[in-house]
Amino acid sequence: MYTRQKGVMMLIIMLMIALSAGMNPVETKAQNKVVLQFMGWEASPFETEGVMNGLKHFMELNPDIEVKYIAGRWAEHHTKLLTMMAGGAAPDVFFLGAEPFYREFQKRGVLLDITSYFNSEFKISDFIPMDRQKMVINGRIYGVSSCVVAPVLYYNKELFNKAGVSYPSANPEEAWTWEKFLEAAKKLTVKEGDRTIQFGVYGLETYPIPFIWSNGGDIFNKNYSECILPESPKAKEALVKILDLRNKYGVSPDAFYLTNVGMSPNQMLQTGKIGMLVDGSWALQELARMKFPVGVGVLPKFKTPVTHGTAHLHAIWKGTKHPKEAWRLVSFLSSEEYQLYFVRDGLWMPNRMYLYTKDGIKKWLNPSVHPAGFEEIADYFTKYLRPHPAIFIPQEAWDIVNEELDKFWHADQPIDKVAQEMAQRVNPILKTK
Amino acid sequence: MSVFRRGSSLGIKSIAYSDTFWAFVLLSPNLLGFLIFMLFPMIASFGLSFTEYDLLTPMKWVGIKNYQQLWLDQTFWKSLWNTIYYTVGTVPIGVAISLLLAIALNQKILGIRFFRGAYFLPVITSAVAVGIVWQWLYNPDFGLFNYLLRLIDIRGPNWLTSTKWAMPAVILVSIWKGLGFNMIIFLAGLQEIPDVYYEAAEIDGANRFAKFLYITLPLLTPTTLFVVVMSIISSFQSFDLIYIMTRGGPARSTSVLVYYLYQCAFEYFKMGYGSAIAYVLFLLVFVATLIQFRFSRHWIIY
Amino acid sequence: MKVYLKKVFVYVILVLGAITMIIPFIWMVSTSLKSLSEVFRFPPTLFGERIVWENYISVTKRFPFGLFFLNSSKITVIVTLGQLLTCSMGGFAFARLKFPFREFLFALYIGTLIIPFHVTLIPTFLLMRFLGWVDTHYSLIIPGLVSPFGTFLLRQFFLSIPTELEDAAKIDGCTPIGIYWRIFVPLSKPAMATLGIFTFMGSWNDFLRPLIFINTVDRRTLPLGLAALQTMYSTDWPVLMAGSVISVIPVIIVFLALQEYFIKGITLTGLKM
Repeated sequence: MYTRQKGVMMLIIMLMIALSAGMNPVETKAQNKVVLQFMGWEASPFETEGVMNGLKHFMELNPDIEVKYIAGRWAEHHTKLLTMMAGGAAPDVFFLGAEPFYREFQKRGVLLDITSYFNSEFKISDFIPMDRQKMVINGRIYGVSSCVVAPVLYYNKELFNKAGVSYPSANPEEAWTWEKFLEAAKKLTVKEGDRTIQFGVYGLETYPIPFIWSNGGDIFNKNYSECILPESPKAKEALVKILDLRNKYGVSPDAFYLTNVGMSPNQMLQTGKIGMLVDGSWALQELARMKFPVGVGVLPKFKTPVTHGTAHLHAIWKGTKHPKEAWRLVSFLSSEEYQLYFVRDGLWMPNRMYLYTKDGIKKWLNPSVHPAGFEEIADYFTKYLRPHPAIFIPQEAWDIVNEELDKFWHADQPIDKVAQEMAQRVNPILKTK
Repeated sequence: MSVFRRGSSLGIKSIAYSDTFWAFVLLSPNLLGFLIFMLFPMIASFGLSFTEYDLLTPMKWVGIKNYQQLWLDQTFWKSLWNTIYYTVGTVPIGVAISLLLAIALNQKILGIRFFRGAYFLPVITSAVAVGIVWQWLYNPDFGLFNYLLRLIDIRGPNWLTSTKWAMPAVILVSIWKGLGFNMIIFLAGLQEIPDVYYEAAEIDGANRFAKFLYITLPLLTPTTLFVVVMSIISSFQSFDLIYIMTRGGPARSTSVLVYYLYQCAFEYFKMGYGSAIAYVLFLLVFVATLIQFRFSRHWIIY
Repeated sequence: MKVYLKKVFVYVILVLGAITMIIPFIWMVSTSLKSLSEVFRFPPTLFGERIVWENYISVTKRFPFGLFFLNSSKITVIVTLGQLLTCSMGGFAFARLKFPFREFLFALYIGTLIIPFHVTLIPTFLLMRFLGWVDTHYSLIIPGLVSPFGTFLLRQFFLSIPTELEDAAKIDGCTPIGIYWRIFVPLSKPAMATLGIFTFMGSWNDFLRPLIFINTVDRRTLPLGLAALQTMYSTDWPVLMAGSVISVIPVIIVFLALQEYFIKGITLTGLKM
């Protein structure tokens, strides 16, 4: 009985000692180095590997700085940032989603104003117009865009050849009109008796906004203080036309088909279940590796060619103890060298004007990833790119927009009703921001 | 009850025998923790619900504005509906199955230890691990679940991404996970019923079914009440599974109150509003429990 | 004969049910030993071409799982031992000692059982911040040391212990604390085992609290590590499953070791009210 008690005491003492671990504040200086905490999310093991390699290089170039990188889940990333900042111990440098967390955090005064740092090394005019709008808040800069991504039109060249349809152009000036697009989609839809075994296109319902804009309509007003969908017949028209692809013309698969075919959109394009796919420019990384002749074009237009862009930024915590070193890291992360590693693999698109010139494109165009004629897409990312609306409205509002749109796509609710409810629910939120 | 009270003199000796003194000593860590980590947050939560707070900028008092907004908040009502849907889906079926299981296991059966262990396995596994495994099982292309359905010629839907099927899918996992727990409690309750009753019934010529209906069920009612109350309380608090498997989607079809609460507080920068939701949740659970206890008079047999 | 058939029927149902309970775990283990491409094979197979033990190593490479394991262990063991102590003390006080406000206090305790944890989540976080415990293990351990549920459980159990034992001890001049330590505690093995399992389970599997309270990677617990293996676009299912298996094994061991006591404990605590 007593030896057991002794044993328990010993155990408790050992645990007490162990208790002391995990209780001390996190170190910021090790030896003579400055230690920076850098937090990001892991979009894929490839991306994390790229980040780690980049950081290794950065540390070689800056032997007085050590960077500790944590890749967490995207789902928790901003919540963690929030609680860490509230707890007074946030990472020095971190990824920050543009939609909408960049502005949400800036509003609450927790981002370091890096305008002067930025201007000493970069020129905002070097960045593509969309990024200027995104990065600059009231004339100041609080984060630097990592890159840009935007939805584009992918297509399966084999299917196009078989159907005798000419390829959609990557040049925005030659973007297909909606009619031409619909025609192509019809030609690419193949039926076997009652069943459709090949659909013309998939993905517009995931990215409807470019088409709304292309038709001259919008969901929000210019300064994002109001949801104007009910009063925008052009926006509603675009949405109805997208839905028609599925309901009226049968050129786009319905949910039932999708659940039964059990494939990812990329796989559907690869295996020829769909002829065209609207997806983010990042998908090229995977598509290029899937060993089928894939092409990239700009989205079809109603009136003007347009798409929306976004990407995460790298920002610095206001409470950092090492602003200068933190900036050096951000500067590296914004460098051409770091960025182009991901661009060459098809994951990112550059966000500097000079990288879209004839010579600039040569720096990153990768024939094993980018399809022939890809360089024509340059103007799409400079001239015809608008910032994604979710950048400017609270998360809650954007969740409601998607929820309501979903009712239109899948619950057969008429567009006018959906627009009314969306505005009704979203406007109070927009007013308070 | 206690025999420890020994006079009221203030000598050391009598303190050593004083109930109150020892009660104080023995209860203090417990009580302290209770006051600081349970009672205080409860009250603070109430106070918070009258503020607007985003964790980063100073708190702002707004009176009953949060509650007013809540009343008009479509997402709140949807989440409330989902919570009720979830509870109604999980509790009755789960309790019924676990009761039957307990009865089945209450007999002398080979390998009873194995069975108890097997049924309890999901209970002791973390909701995270369970959620992850079932996400995999529900995978429309490669998941075991749809594969088995295909064997009997049923085309399984895209479970976790279908607005129609996501909640049933989550409910199924929830029932699966909670069966063992209720079963063990029922087992304990069953073992309390003296065999004498059954023997007497046999003498009177009662068959199995009659025995079940007239002896087992009635005598099991206190246990049943406990199981039902605890199940309802815990289903109102279900978070981990939904957070891992569906994140409240698709299109809010699995967003329950607790999930919405979490979102408001930690993703939408609205801690005060989240506290208001929390308080409504508390009231709901409180009222539901009260109702159950009131009604229990009519059907409990002690 | 009829009785025999009925028994077989019941047995079959039980076995089917048990299989339903176990299949996901079998699948978990089976997936954890495949390579990523084999996982996407259709129809699904139980084993891949070879047993990929490396998945378990990959888990530790992605995140310091050994550290998470240690953290979880440390927190869970301290919390479990602590709760057993405070709840038995408190349960004894409620069951056997007379003191003012006893009934009222106990009713308050029971009342808090109804409160969903999430109602207190936000103020608890603010409290942790105030105490400077955010991102330390204190935030997970200290609040976990007390439990109204555990107190309730042990109080019920102590109520069922016959008073003769105490009476004898009192005649010998034993103080209340002596009664507690020398008589009640040794007798309460089943109830302690029950509470021990519940507490162990709850603390080991706790996800939301570490999610909110812990930031630094090195201080994370196992469920957090497991969740972090899920990435945005593509999920490495075998590695994820390997992580799940690792996190599940300790609780299973504890349960199997204490199974007998556990069942006895539930019966004896009269967990029915």
